[in-house]
Amino acid sequence: MSDTDRALSRRGPARCATALRWDRDQLVTAREGDTVSLALLDAGILETSRSAKYRRPRGAYCLRGDCGTCLVRINGLPNRRACLTAVHEGIRIRPQNRLVAGADPSALVDTMLRGGMDHHHFMVRPRVVNQLMQGVARNLTGLGTLPDRMPDAPAQHRVLEPDVLIVGAGSAGRAAHAVLTDGGCDVVWVDRRDRDGIVAEANAAVSDALLDHTGVFGVYVAEGLWAAMRDTPGQPAVLYSIKPRHVVVATGARDPILAVPNNDRPGVVAARGLLQQLRRSDATLAVPAVVIGEGAYATALADALGVEALPPADVDRIEGNPVDAVSLRDGKGKRECQLVALAPLPAPAYELARQAGAAVRWHGGGFSVQRDQRGRCATTAFTVWAAGDVTGYMGPQSAADDGERVAAAVLHSLR
Amino acid sequence: MPRRSFVCRCEDVTLSEVDHAIALGLHEVEELKRYTGLGTGPCQGKECISALVKLLIDKGLADPETVQPFTARPPTEPVTLGALAAGLAPDAGDGS
Amino acid sequence: MIGNTKAQAMGRRDAPLPDRVDVAIIGGGIMGLATAYHLSKNSTLRIAVIERSYLVSGASGRNGGGLRMQWGDEGNVTLMMQSIEMCRGLAQELGINLWFRQGGYLFVARSEAGERRLMRNASLHRDVGAPTRLMTGAEAREIVPQLDTDQVRLAAFNPHDGVVFPWPFVWGYAGQAVARGVVVRTHTPVQRIEVLGDGLRLHLGTGEQLDADRVLNATGAWSIELNRALGIELPNHPHRHEIMSSEPLKPFLDPLVVDLATGLYFSQSTRGEIVAGITMPDTGPAATEVDLGSSRRFLAHLGHALTQVMLITSQLRVLRQWAGPYDVSPDGDAIVGPSPGVPRLYQVCGFTGHGFMMAPAVGKIVADLLSTGKHHPMLDRWDPSRFARGTSRRREDMIIG
Repeated sequence: MSDTDRALSRRGPARCATALRWDRDQLVTAREGDTVSLALLDAGILETSRSAKYRRPRGAYCLRGDCGTCLVRINGLPNRRACLTAVHEGIRIRPQNRLVAGADPSALVDTMLRGGMDHHHFMVRPRVVNQLMQGVARNLTGLGTLPDRMPDAPAQHRVLEPDVLIVGAGSAGRAAHAVLTDGGCDVVWVDRRDRDGIVAEANAAVSDALLDHTGVFGVYVAEGLWAAMRDTPGQPAVLYSIKPRHVVVATGARDPILAVPNNDRPGVVAARGLLQQLRRSDATLAVPAVVIGEGAYATALADALGVEALPPADVDRIEGNPVDAVSLRDGKGKRECQLVALAPLPAPAYELARQAGAAVRWHGGGFSVQRDQRGRCATTAFTVWAAGDVTGYMGPQSAADDGERVAAAVLHSLR
Repeated sequence: MPRRSFVCRCEDVTLSEVDHAIALGLHEVEELKRYTGLGTGPCQGKECISALVKLLIDKGLADPETVQPFTARPPTEPVTLGALAAGLAPDAGDGS
Repeated sequence: MIGNTKAQAMGRRDAPLPDRVDVAIIGGGIMGLATAYHLSKNSTLRIAVIERSYLVSGASGRNGGGLRMQWGDEGNVTLMMQSIEMCRGLAQELGINLWFRQGGYLFVARSEAGERRLMRNASLHRDVGAPTRLMTGAEAREIVPQLDTDQVRLAAFNPHDGVVFPWPFVWGYAGQAVARGVVVRTHTPVQRIEVLGDGLRLHLGTGEQLDADRVLNATGAWSIELNRALGIELPNHPHRHEIMSSEPLKPFLDPLVVDLATGLYFSQSTRGEIVAGITMPDTGPAATEVDLGSSRRFLAHLGHALTQVMLITSQLRVLRQWAGPYDVSPDGDAIVGPSPGVPRLYQVCGFTGHGFMMAPAVGKIVADLLSTGKHHPMLDRWDPSRFARGTSRRREDMIIG
């Protein structure tokens, strides 16, 4: 593929070229530091799997590790998140749940069931038809296949008992970490992303103390612990049992789906995630794109991407596979594009705080974590504080201020 | 490809499928989740919950003051069985 | 399209209640709804089912969906042979997909005691006509190639056993019951039961009352509270059982596998998830209240046991974990029949974690008892009065979890 076929233009000093192997034998050139999702997007490879029920083509959407459709087979392991995995020399990527590349015959399911499929009442009678249908369904669902290989080394267990655990290295988490370490606290700081992604977002150096690739997967109040797994490529996994006195939940906000017609087409991505991935790779869009969203939030994203923002109410449907246009209602025509970036207001990532006992409340775009004036949202075996977008989307600058304020309150409470 | 608007792309649940379940008398996020399958896929509802609740509020089926999301069950991030198994072992060492 | 059925209304929070019914069933789980369905089919009784929350909110919506005839006691084997036979055509009967897949149950024993259990059970199964096959570890690997069978002394496989997706059973029974005139009212707790001269009165959380000639307590682990308020002391108690499911994978595992050494069980659902649970060590004193919390401890035990017997799973990811309440009866047998001291209140509880798989048969047995007085032989040993009479006896040694 020549540079002119690329979806992205690269700025700044050229990073080392590398390559990933896609779907057995296709070599895709990429730059060091790209995520798998961005490298594939750059090469115009947008479809990475088929969906469970209608067998529709699917690809990455949120580009931030929250949605479920960028999952691919990476180096022989199923269901890995392409959007959070950095490309490295020799990396092998395979699509999942496809019968064949290209025109998958199972796509007929989608065409034949134009009116939709009620899977509870589909082909129930007679029994022989039902049995046949179940056999077919079982083989069309599921995502990846079993791993190619056994693990190289068993996982390790680490027990940590810090004064403070900070979950998240977004704006609020970074600000909170600075305040708490300046205050002399014993802090454990984790983020599920890799360091490159966090540094690109911060546009600054990030403390070595950060445990990257470390996702907190559960809060077990009765056991007094926050459980996390560190999953660094090429290294044994580490299970962390963290028993903190205080926790600052700075898990930020996610990009939910906007329910516009054909919002599942490969090439439909979340605008915020796309922008972050572009910054990470020092790239800009070289193909036409549009943003679907309304209000100042969507407009700002469209401006940053250098594209037009279309209000969701104007959208008749997204067209093409992968996308090639957005058609509008009421004779407003059509916008040709190769990427559609949805810009719904981010919804707080409230799950961990809620598991820890915090209350949540609907605020229009999602559920926000409720907290007292100082920032506390739950007190059980640990005192839990919420900072930044998880309390309601506020954007990077306000989130940083909020993280600083809450961390000061934590410091005060520790003294 | 037919035109479809998805609420949950993990489990292929469309707006019209949610409408169908609502017409059967299911109005709560927990029961709509179970009947439609929405929120039970790889993302565990992170993508769809907002779209679902917005829809319920627009239809007057949920009160924005009191509506709650479905239970946020662990794990909220992927964790392997191998890493979990390590939880039976004591701390591996240097505490870092 | 040919072959499709029509979705049925399954019960509503605003379903109008009559003042009086012949049979009121408390609990919209599979037990209550299977009973309501069979009653509505073979009688003209007026029936109402009262569910405190949404359908499938309780144990019926929280179990692993396994159905097996491999039990250690003849009564249970025969009952489950009936239940599995009923399940074969049940999707067509209820008009809803149940995803019943007969991939078998594979039990593996790694100790001498386990080996003896499997041998004794297989001989019992043969006597009653259940096609259980004993096999070596090597033969078990032919069924599940990824299984570590090094220490396996003996395995037992029954190809008629299988797995289902539990939720549509509940919706299917409810839909057919509603279509036959049963009132299914959801989101309505029963706060108190009052004994009247000619029946029982249910005081509902909505402020309504419902009178009934006879009432079924089909609330499983939640039954204890209702019973106690009426002075009915039964020895069943709730037990939290945790379970998990993995990320979806393409099909590779046909049977549900049980490792007797650890009490680990796992199967693969139609959607491709590995669904697994385990008997937890040191569970402490018997609980008095339903607890549905999830623990990291469970995941550690489960992860350890599963990766030991199937190393390839160590890089698989857990999608979610949850818990359901077993309604544990001290002798392992269900508690079904008129309550001691309150004969108009029937118990349908105490199924000790295996009610779901038994419900298709039990619903029919209880409906027959209520409508015609027909007395199934299992009802003798399920008699709620057996504890007070001192005739309770443990017969079953194949309770898992």
